[in-house]
Amino acid sequence: MAEAVPAEERLFSLVLALVASEYGLTKAEILSSVQGYRQRYRRGQDNATLERQFERDKDDVRDLGVPLETIESPTEPGNNQLLRYRIAKGAYDLPADVQFSSSEMTLLGLAAEVWREGSLSNESRRAILKLRSLGVDVDDSTIGYAPRIRVREPAFDTLSDAINRRVAVRFDYLKPGAEGSSRRFVEPRALVKHESRWHLVGLDRDRRASRTFLLSRIVGDVTKTRTVFEAPDGDPAREALAELERVFAAHPVEIDVVRGSDAERRLETRVIGDGLESAAGRPTGAGPRRLRIGSTDLELLADEIASYGPEARVVSPARLRAAVIDRLTRVLADHRGPVRQGGDS
Amino acid sequence: MTTAPFGAQDRLAFLLSLVPYLLDRGTVAVTEAAAHFGVDEDEVRSAIRLIAVSGIPGETDSYGPDDLFDIDWDALEIDDRIELTHAVAIDDSPRFSAREAAALLAGLQYLSALPENHGSESIATLSRKLATGASSTPSPVAVATRAASEALGPIRRGLTERRQVEFDYRDARGAVEHRIVDPLRIDSEDQSWYLRAWDHSRDAVRTFRVDRMDSVSVSDRPSLGDGSDIRLPDSLFQGTPDDLTVVLCATPSALPLLGDFVPDGSRPGKSMDGMVRVSVRVGHFHALKRAVCGLPALVTVESPEEAREAVAGWAEQGLAQYSDGGRG
Repeated sequence: MAEAVPAEERLFSLVLALVASEYGLTKAEILSSVQGYRQRYRRGQDNATLERQFERDKDDVRDLGVPLETIESPTEPGNNQLLRYRIAKGAYDLPADVQFSSSEMTLLGLAAEVWREGSLSNESRRAILKLRSLGVDVDDSTIGYAPRIRVREPAFDTLSDAINRRVAVRFDYLKPGAEGSSRRFVEPRALVKHESRWHLVGLDRDRRASRTFLLSRIVGDVTKTRTVFEAPDGDPAREALAELERVFAAHPVEIDVVRGSDAERRLETRVIGDGLESAAGRPTGAGPRRLRIGSTDLELLADEIASYGPEARVVSPARLRAAVIDRLTRVLADHRGPVRQGGDS
Repeated sequence: MTTAPFGAQDRLAFLLSLVPYLLDRGTVAVTEAAAHFGVDEDEVRSAIRLIAVSGIPGETDSYGPDDLFDIDWDALEIDDRIELTHAVAIDDSPRFSAREAAALLAGLQYLSALPENHGSESIATLSRKLATGASSTPSPVAVATRAASEALGPIRRGLTERRQVEFDYRDARGAVEHRIVDPLRIDSEDQSWYLRAWDHSRDAVRTFRVDRMDSVSVSDRPSLGDGSDIRLPDSLFQGTPDDLTVVLCATPSALPLLGDFVPDGSRPGKSMDGMVRVSVRVGHFHALKRAVCGLPALVTVESPEEAREAVAGWAEQGLAQYSDGGRG
């Protein structure tokens, strides 16, 4: 085969051809004339491989935010051979009033840098390339900052892709307190990070109700299905965060913490209601300090409080208190006495 | 920062971004364009060579000279400078995709926790502009934040004004000590903020948790160096040669939860029972005992005995608080 046109050259040529063409091009016109396709096009013969290539390229181009549209033939709607493909320049160009100052550019650069793992790091890198095309220089006011949002959960990328393509997903979910995991069939709506944990909000199709899932409790791989769903109304991410905040405030927990301890410093940021105190206004006094904090997940909170050992004591609710006692008892049993033999070590 | 190599989509994004930049600049050195976009110079050269032979199919299904981009080849070959002399089809910056806009929006949401951005109008304005600049509604990704510690204010000032910073620091053992440091970098992981700094009492780079600091102030004394001679590794905590080796037994799913204890890329061996055994190096047991108590049944310390006892003791002291009838 003589053809050695790199993928980016084919994609670039496709974009140029579709922007330049006022009325759009048919698939046959694209495959026979555009650089990267034309070299492999065989007139009057089967071009199925090339057509599949074009389908994938269309997705790749659209993924980059290039508005590649499909126009039906006015005389013969439904005839795929007459479908025309086009990129409207007005929808392609960044609107003229979207401009950024040097300091805004700097802040956006830092916003992009918080993603250092997972697919969003690629997305933000491309966004930065596009921003740089505006030619504005960045200042150095954020030098010395290296903020990061963790994306450790392997399910994140597949879910983010599924949300974008609006396809339902299946996964095994381990509900706290349940014996084993259960298979879920979900229309994914939004990914939100709340209290340093990633949550998926979606419509559980079997239960016909909106559910919130912790990504860390998804067991194994997430599978995309062929079931496509309609884009939900409103702003699902904002609504999901508001709902988590509501749950958080509705489940108060009372904890006594040792003053000056890690437990105090980390839990006091979650104080709710009257107990709201800034770090500067931290009350002084002897003995432990009682905090009233919000919570969304008692099991995970129990893990966290167990890690504080003698620095934190649960006052209420009783379920949390029992859960912490269980955990500490288990850790003590596992670490005092002979090493539990379970393997080949 | 480590980044994955460019794929075909990244290259396309770069090509579409490079054209309007070059049209705007007129003529620019390869080095300058590379620095501006934060890419390799070779990436710029190969992109410009590709642009120079690209264009739109003409009337006769072939690419005529007027249908192609053109560049000043002499300027490129001799002076390593770029000048677009003819452009076709595109001349403006492309819009953001839904996910690109979402990544930046959620990033901004996160940065709004910083003291200097608290209640800042500019973040709200920027967010609106990003949404306007996207070709479709930004993807639903959001990050909830609570205001980060006010202590970041003086730390930040020390960093930018290159002054020493002082504070009382409560270490993992619980001991409080006054520290004087040259701030090097502010790191964060979600809601935890860290300062990496040259610690004058230790004569070494140390990582401090900002929420363990009290009475933070900027000193009149300048930082001794500008920090440019110190290379900070990506991971926040590093082992030291006199560290202790601890063997942990963990369920595979718990490994990521151990975070910086288990260095990235370490490949622990799996045993018959499905558990993995991993050796980690720690300076002391104080952070380890907390981590292990927070992962009951998922992680167990196997050796040495001192580490097992440190964990057991921590759990026991925790339990003792509930001896007034908490048990049972």
